[in-house]
Parts: sequence; structure tokens; C-alpha cells
Amino acid sequence: MVARSYSLAYPVSGTRPFHVIIGPRTRQRRIGGWIGLAFTLAAVFFIMISTRVALDRNAFVLEDIRNQISVEEARYWELRLRVAELQSPARIADLAAEMGMVYPTRLVTIEVPGLGSPGPGVEDRWVELKMLLSAQP
Amino acid sequence: MEVQPRRPHGRLIGVGVVLVVAWSLIGYRLTVVQGARADEFAAQGLDQRLQRLTIAADRGTIFDRDGRELAVTVDSISVYANPQEIANPVDVSRTLAPLVGREARDLLSALASDTEFVYLARQLDLSLADAIRQANLPGVYVLVEPKRVYPSGDLAAHVVGFVRPDDNEGLEGLEFFYDEALAGTPGSLLVERDPEGMAIPQGRHQIEPAEPGADLVLTIKSEIQFAAGEALAAAMERTGAAAGSIVVIDPATGAILAMVNLPSYDPNDRSAVPEEALRNRAVTDVFEPGSTQKVVTISGALETGLVTPATTFQIPKQIGILDTVFEDFTDHADVLSVTEIVTYSSNLGTILIGDQLGARRMHTYMSAFGQGTATGIDFPGEASGVLRDPADWCLTTCVASTSIGYRVSVTALQMAMVYATVANDGVWVQPHLVAEIVDATGVRVPFDFLQRRVLSVATAEEMRSMLQAVVEVGTGSLAAVPGYRVGGKTGTTEKYLEESQAYSEDEVVASFIGMAPIDDPRVVIAVVLDSPRTDATGGRGAAPVFSAVALAALHQLGVAPDAG
Repeated sequence: MVARSYSLAYPVSGTRPFHVIIGPRTRQRRIGGWIGLAFTLAAVFFIMISTRVALDRNAFVLEDIRNQISVEEARYWELRLRVAELQSPARIADLAAEMGMVYPTRLVTIEVPGLGSPGPGVEDRWVELKMLLSAQP
Repeated sequence: MEVQPRRPHGRLIGVGVVLVVAWSLIGYRLTVVQGARADEFAAQGLDQRLQRLTIAADRGTIFDRDGRELAVTVDSISVYANPQEIANPVDVSRTLAPLVGREARDLLSALASDTEFVYLARQLDLSLADAIRQANLPGVYVLVEPKRVYPSGDLAAHVVGFVRPDDNEGLEGLEFFYDEALAGTPGSLLVERDPEGMAIPQGRHQIEPAEPGADLVLTIKSEIQFAAGEALAAAMERTGAAAGSIVVIDPATGAILAMVNLPSYDPNDRSAVPEEALRNRAVTDVFEPGSTQKVVTISGALETGLVTPATTFQIPKQIGILDTVFEDFTDHADVLSVTEIVTYSSNLGTILIGDQLGARRMHTYMSAFGQGTATGIDFPGEASGVLRDPADWCLTTCVASTSIGYRVSVTALQMAMVYATVANDGVWVQPHLVAEIVDATGVRVPFDFLQRRVLSVATAEEMRSMLQAVVEVGTGSLAAVPGYRVGGKTGTTEKYLEESQAYSEDEVVASFIGMAPIDDPRVVIAVVLDSPRTDATGGRGAAPVFSAVALAALHQLGVAPDAG
């Protein structure tokens, strides 16, 4: 006699002899749980992707800002160079000569009496002079 | 009915075995890749993606004393190519030539080379980058590089110097002397790139920022520098001099307000500059000072109490020592006071005073004034001049010659410092070109400058009075400055030729060194003309230059004219 296992001794039935019958509410709750889990996972996944996208976007923005800074710095130095060229004494002297401005051949020194130590009334006259000058266009 | 379980088919077993072996191999490899050699492979991958770039440090700016840029660094573009990537170099060279300003055939020869990297143009204007990129030439690339620019051109070329275009390393002048401070420290950028060469946004991006170089603030005042350059150029045209130098010093501080040499050059374009134009002659070239040296001899005699300004001397017609005959070249009375000896630049009177002073004491005062020793100015290649030890002086003509400015060699700067000492009440202050160094954080590095007393205040005052007389009634009348009382001394010497070891028969060095205003000197100006053909004396050639420069300098410094 050959020993056979129980399961092999009988033909396999298409239906299980015993099974648990789950009520519709319980089934709904379980499905709801799975759906909730799926939604949660999807949401987490979505948030992760969104975060990643946002980070990448910010990285691009940062890169763009860095490039802009470089461009602006280059522009700044170009402008400083231009200012320095415009302020060059040689250029100003040439322009002045073109405009007819020349060093005087004869210098006259004007000495103003009382300039070193103001006498009486000098301050009043200075105030008048300042008012006069400030009224000029 | 009994169901017999089917026996596994042989092929199925074979497939199973293959699958098991395959999965085992995969598992093994996975273990090796992800486990045993994970670090090694990760490192290899990272190494392929990571790129380390050197971030060049911004070279410091050089300013004049008023904050005007004399040397700045700006971005420029360089165009390079990989000739191996260029299929049609003829078309590329034709398209690129007008954009980079080079001949097409020059570019073609570069593109035909058997290398993978060749520069086609260096340090072009940044604005050309877009045009070159839009030309979309395969194998041609644009690189942004720093470029040193000197906005004032030749204004202070000999002082500022220049850098090597390839790496911005200082080669001449202050660019060389202060290269370490100006250069800064390069940084590095570690960036993770994809196979296309684009930066991976979330990849590694590690920056070690470059530390910018320090800025230099010079003592140079651009307006005075310009005026000195113009005056010297006019004098060279008038006299036909081969070269010339001017040094303007603030005697109280030792600050160099201007230092001009001609011929000069534009540091922005040195393609055709002769070697001799690069020298800062005021610091590197020596000459025999001639009569301007009389200030040293006479102030030494005054200081030691041998003479006073009123001491008189019977002046002979000439003094002969062996074969050498000394004479005066100006008409004057037979008896001259010390003041008159200076005023009329009497060689014979000065020789008599020098004879009383003697070799040792003369040498002592010459050394005290800084002759024979480099001043220590912050500039490369300064000459120390020649001042022989008195033990080596001959017993015949040496004292006489030295007392009137022969047998001693000095730079224009050293002679300017002699007069600056007299102007500064007898105190020698070390000359300098840099007022301060400002580091990247804005911290200003102070300097300490050497000072030493050479003369007493009284001797310096007496000497200034004599120098005033030189301009008012003596040989330096053309140095007079309208509105100001000034003083100075003329000098004319035969030019000593190093090649022939003899004095030239037709070439002289004409000089004038003076100070203004004489009562409270704000500037000391040394003018040296090398080999003038006309007006070939200090009084006629150099003194008018002093006048023009002094007037401009006093105006620029806001010095009020003298009353009366």
C-alpha cells in the first residue's frame, strides 16, 4: 500500500468546502481602507513628485539668478570702465581744448582785503551774496 | 478516478535550472555592483558626472588717490575651436574672420592644425559673444575670460605696469610688485553634469568661492600726472630730447603725486612697444646729477658749521687739478657769498666749499640724503645709483668732481628726495607709490614709512632761501611760477656713456629740481631731460617744465597763491 497524502487522495473540488462570508458593509469598509491607502500613497507620491518638481524648478531659478548676477556684474564693470574712460584727464583736456578752454597765459592774483580775518559787516554782506547767488538759475 | 500528478518535464527542469543560474548570476552581479564594489562604482559614476572648475579670483583694481580707476578687470570672450570637429574649415574661417577681426587665412591655418584645441582670438569685447554664438559654427566655442584694462591709457603706464594677457600675472610696475596682493586666491566649483554637459539641478553643486584680490590706492593724482606728461612731451618736442622724466613728490609724506617718463606706451596695446619705452627711467636709470648736487655739498657745509649763507669766497678764474680744469659757466663777481655760489651755480665756489667739507663728510651727507642706496620705493627694479666709498676716492679730482655732481650716479627719484628733504625741514621720508591696500573685506592695510633727519630745520630753511634766489635772480629764472614763490636748482652734465666708458661730446643731461611754494613746500618736482638738442641746459630746457608742472600741481592741490 502506498501512503498518499490526504489532499492527493481525493479529487480537488472546484469550491472550497468552507469559507467565510463577509457582509457587504465589512467588504465596503475593507475596500474603503484599500482605496484610502491607495489614495494616501498616491497623494504621498504626488506630493513627493511635486516637491521634487518644485525643487528642480527652484534650482533652475537659482541657476538663472546666478547667471543674471554674472551678467549684471559684467555690466557693472563695463560701466565702471566706461566712467573711468570718460573721466580720463586726456579726454577731458581734449574736449576742453575743442570748446576753446585754454590755460591762461597770464595769471592775475586778486587779494581780497579782510578775507583772512573778516571785519565788521563781512558776514552780513556774505549772507546777501549767498542769497543773490542762490537766486541764480 | 485517481489523478496522477504529472512528472516535471525535462525541458521544464532545464528552463528552471537556466533561470536559477541566470538569476543567481544576476543576483551575484547585483551583490557585487550594489554591495561589494558599490562604493567603487558609485565613485566612478560620480567622477564621470562631476566637473571641477577653477574660479579665477577677481584681480584687484588700482585706483589713483582720488578713487579713479587706473587698472580694472572686466569680462571678455576668447574664441577657441576643436579643429577635429570642423568639417569645412574654409567656410568657418570666412564666417568667423569679420567677427573676431582676424584674417581668414590666419584662422584657416589655425583650424587646419592637428590638435583638439586652438585659440582663434583672445580677450575680445563681451558684446561679440552673441554674434559668434548665433553664427552656429560647429567646433567653435566661446569662453569668458577676465581681461585687464587700463582706462587712462598711457597716463601712468610706467607706474601701474601691465599683466600677461594669458593669466593676468603682473609683469611690470605695480602690477608686478603687488601681484600677490592683487591676484587674490582662486576658488573652485564642483558641479554635477548630465551627458549633455548641463548642470543637474539637484546634483552636487559645491562652491569654494574665490577670494578677490586687494585693491591698491595709489598716491598718484591723475590731473598732476597728466599735466606733467603734457609738459614733458612739449619740452621734448621743443628741445629734441631723446627721453625725459618727471617726479612730483609731496615732501611731507613722501607720496609720489606724479611720475612720468617719455617715451611711453599704452599698456592696452603693447604689440609694437620698443623695449626702452617700458622702463620707468625715474627709478631705474641713473645719471650724474651735476649742479643739482651742489645742494648736498653746501647743505653739508652749512650743517657742519663750516660756512653760513653769508660766508664769502674769493672765486678764482679756474681751478686746475692735474689735467682737469674746472671753470664756471656764468658771469659773476670775484667774491661770492655761499648764497651767491648757489644762485649763480658756481662750480669753483662749490669746489672750494667741498674742499673744506672733505671726502668723508661729503660722503656722509650724500649717504644721509640717500645717494648710493635705493630709496626702498614700492617699485620693482629700483637702481641704487653709484656712490663710492671715500677710501676709494682719488686724492686728486675726486672731491672737487663729486662736490659739483660728477663721479656720483643717482636716479631722478633719489635727487628728488634730496630736495624733498630740504623742503621737509631736513627730514627724509621714504617715497612710495601706494597709499593703502584695501582687501576684499574693505580692511585698509596701513603702511609705515621710514623717516630720518638729515639736516636741522635751520639749515633746511637757509637752503630753501638760497634755492629761492636761484629762481628769482639766478640760473633758474625760467622756473618761476606766476603767483607763487618757488625755489630750485638747475643742473647740466655731460652725459656719461656706459658703452664707451667716457663722457659724450655732444650729449648732456639737463635737469631742474625745485619746490613750491618755497615758504611751505607742498610739492617737489624733479625734471630730467636726456640729450636735449636745443635749450640744452637745466635753466633753459628743464626749468620751464618745472614751472608748468608746479603751476598745475599747486592749482590741483588747492594751494593759494602767495600774497604780494
